[in-house]
Amino acid sequence: MSIMAGSRPDGTRPGAAVEEPRPAVAAATVKESVPRRAAKAGKAGKVPLRVRWRRDRALILMTLPVIALLLLFNYVPLLGNVVAFQDYDPYVSSNGITAIFHSPWVGVEQFSRMLGDPLFWSATKNTVVLFVLQLVLFFPVPIALALVINSVIRPRVRAVAQAIMYLPHFFSWVLVVTVFQQILGGAGIIAQTLEEHGWSGFDLMTDADLFKYLVTAQAVWKDAGWGIIVFLAALSAVSTDLYEAAAMDGAGRWRRMWHITLPALRPVIALLLVLRVGDALSVGFEQFLLQRYAVGAGASEVLDTYVWNMGIQNGDFSYAAAVGLAKGLIGVCLVLGANKFAHLLGQQGVYKK
Amino acid sequence: MTPNAASSGLSRRSFLASTAVATAAVAGGVPLLAACSDSGSGGSREGATAGKAADKLLPTYVASTVAKPDIPSKNGSSAGYTSKVDLATLASSVPTRLGTGAPIEVLAPLWGTPPKPGCAYYTALDAAAGTKITWQNQDGNTYGEKLGAVLASSSIPDMVVVPSWELVGKISSAVTAKFMDLGPYLAGDKVKKYPNLAAIPSDSWRMSIFGGALRGIPMPAAAVPNIVPFYRKDVFDKKGYTVPTSADEFLSWAKEATSAKAKVWACGDMRWSAAGIFGVRPAGSLGWNIGDDGKLTYRIEHPEYLEHLEWVRKLFAAGVVHPDDKANTGDPRQRFTSGQILVYNNDMSSWYGKTAEQAQSNPDFEISGMDYFGAGGGSPTLYAGQPAGIWSMIRKDASKETVENALAAANFAAAPYGTKERMFVDYGVEGTHYTVENGAPVKNDRGIQEVNNAWVLLAAPAPYTAHPDLPDITRMQVEWQQRQGAFVKKTSTYGMNIVEPTRYATLSSQFEQLEIDFVRGNKKPSDIQQAISTWKSSGGDKLRGWYKELLDKNGSGN
Repeated sequence: MSIMAGSRPDGTRPGAAVEEPRPAVAAATVKESVPRRAAKAGKAGKVPLRVRWRRDRALILMTLPVIALLLLFNYVPLLGNVVAFQDYDPYVSSNGITAIFHSPWVGVEQFSRMLGDPLFWSATKNTVVLFVLQLVLFFPVPIALALVINSVIRPRVRAVAQAIMYLPHFFSWVLVVTVFQQILGGAGIIAQTLEEHGWSGFDLMTDADLFKYLVTAQAVWKDAGWGIIVFLAALSAVSTDLYEAAAMDGAGRWRRMWHITLPALRPVIALLLVLRVGDALSVGFEQFLLQRYAVGAGASEVLDTYVWNMGIQNGDFSYAAAVGLAKGLIGVCLVLGANKFAHLLGQQGVYKK
Repeated sequence: MTPNAASSGLSRRSFLASTAVATAAVAGGVPLLAACSDSGSGGSREGATAGKAADKLLPTYVASTVAKPDIPSKNGSSAGYTSKVDLATLASSVPTRLGTGAPIEVLAPLWGTPPKPGCAYYTALDAAAGTKITWQNQDGNTYGEKLGAVLASSSIPDMVVVPSWELVGKISSAVTAKFMDLGPYLAGDKVKKYPNLAAIPSDSWRMSIFGGALRGIPMPAAAVPNIVPFYRKDVFDKKGYTVPTSADEFLSWAKEATSAKAKVWACGDMRWSAAGIFGVRPAGSLGWNIGDDGKLTYRIEHPEYLEHLEWVRKLFAAGVVHPDDKANTGDPRQRFTSGQILVYNNDMSSWYGKTAEQAQSNPDFEISGMDYFGAGGGSPTLYAGQPAGIWSMIRKDASKETVENALAAANFAAAPYGTKERMFVDYGVEGTHYTVENGAPVKNDRGIQEVNNAWVLLAAPAPYTAHPDLPDITRMQVEWQQRQGAFVKKTSTYGMNIVEPTRYATLSSQFEQLEIDFVRGNKKPSDIQQAISTWKSSGGDKLRGWYKELLDKNGSGN
């Protein structure tokens, strides 16, 4: 993406896209930057549409299948959200889609039901608490790990360390929860060892108060290694000249990290932060469903599991759709807010003003 | 167990899995797990049809006379067959092939790996029944999701297996809307074309009336409890434990038997057994009963409801429940066979299943069922399960030929014990799927693999128990059923297929989770009381009125 932006033959506005540390940003936001570029080029209006079509024809044609898939699986199903304003019965007609036309409209009844439902608020509270906790405890971990990895010079050590860190990402949640249960559970390794030395009753897996830390720990173990990829890409883009120059000027390790490495990472951090905030209400699903019995729904119910329970388990699709819709709306507001915040900090965020 | 099931290791889905698979050998029934029958539909789709109105819809009952049970049914138990069957002289219950070979598609749940299409078992059964079935098997643990989606699509398979525990939300109204009234094919004497279906007891057929018409072909279930508090008899004997006979005794025994150091815990999650011990009614429509005082009440409104949960909570608090059961991970059945827990509750099929499974690797292993005891000692109060919990149904606009082929398949699957057809369904083809050793059929690897399929879910004969290889287990099972059967009561809603109005569909849905959380100490007693009063005010009292009217109209089931 960055290469294309820099090497465009007509040279329209290449500047904005190739500021110093941008490459990694662009790499991470390929999807987002496609429409943005198109829009900007349109606004520029210097090159006639016909010329641009001839020039980019192959690229546009190549994107068509993806756009078709995106429309079919991401946008068309969005229409189904209308059931949130109905008392939807999927079986009232010959199939689930025509049933939408036969189900009665109830206005915002599902939403007012949602606002009066203590279970919804409990799920929301859990979700927000977990999000904040993960933001504080999880988000910085991949950055730190990336810095550590980056400071390792020997390629073999580096490759092995990286592989070990990536690996848990490919485990399913069932496996992760089982591994944690085998270690931290009441019949796990630690409990058994303590038992042999006379301490009994160790069981971290069923403690509802510690649950939020437990799931954060699980998430860190599983996904922190994976999360460093983007940061490593950004780090690899930092010119070694800068380090050499700084070293020449007498900057030590820490000063180099503070004045070169971290500033280089800043746009990526801001971007991922915005994306993460936008996704704040999706803290996970399987992880919570699997540990639901262990700590109870009171501690483990998050919005996603709540929607699943209401919709799939209880068959109350309209209500589940209403909750899902509300969650989506809050997500959009959060993205806009976080992006605004990123702009205030002088970063680009997900999109430009 | 599939990974999915880890989250629901003790849920009714995976739990009933084993029931369904082993139904041929098991007196079924869904005592505590019928929570899902509280679902609804619009307009005339709700309610129930009972009494004279129902009798008009039912097939004529013609008992099967093929094989006389060694232990006849008593107290609502299944019939037991313990003597050797002469495989060479088996009777035939389907003398002429009823199917015409027209292809039909069947959607059914399956627990395990489905056999390959066109395998020897399928080919042989199709040839024998005159059918040509294309199976669409779905994972039984998540069958409800698939069923819901299939029913909402415009292409429903010709025949669909519908378990009662999947009738949540609006699915039960879908059953009425999407499936055919089988009356024209089965009502009255018409059923005589299908002798094995005619031998299905009328109570089970009555449970197959949906929306005022006979829409299901039932798998009959015995009225006695299907949940057994199993214990490791070999360990009890070795350690000299006596089987507890009251709730307090159980707790003190459990404390004595638990040794975390030795990795032995007394039990798993005992909620299901506790319901029997404390006399709590099943969930769902069976939970409604008119008491001696003439008042119509639901299960949660009785003090026993909280008491049984408090007792289980005590077990958890005392640390006698395995930590993995508390966290609901892993497989409790495996913890039981490996001796990490000494007592656990499961459905009747484990009695045979675990014995057969452990016979080679663990010859000392001995499983037995505890008799239910009253909470304070003495006799328990148990409640009868519904006489059918799984049905097969036929698509509404199916052609006459399709219906007749589907019924031919069901008739074949419902063959009584001691017939060639039963042998075919349960064991496959001699030489290919099983060999005869000491007069008893023994499945080979291929048999174990291919016989685990959904033919048995299409229909079943009256409840019976038979394990040709382990007749002693059969005897113990039936005797256990008969002892428990003596304490079984029927609630006012017994034997009625009741579809509650949709507006109450989710009224009671929170209780299962609440129970799970409460016994593990994650909810307070006041939370339960709060939930009960919320239940009353947010529709429970109105639902009571609805049931009152229904029972006034249809008469009581007990």
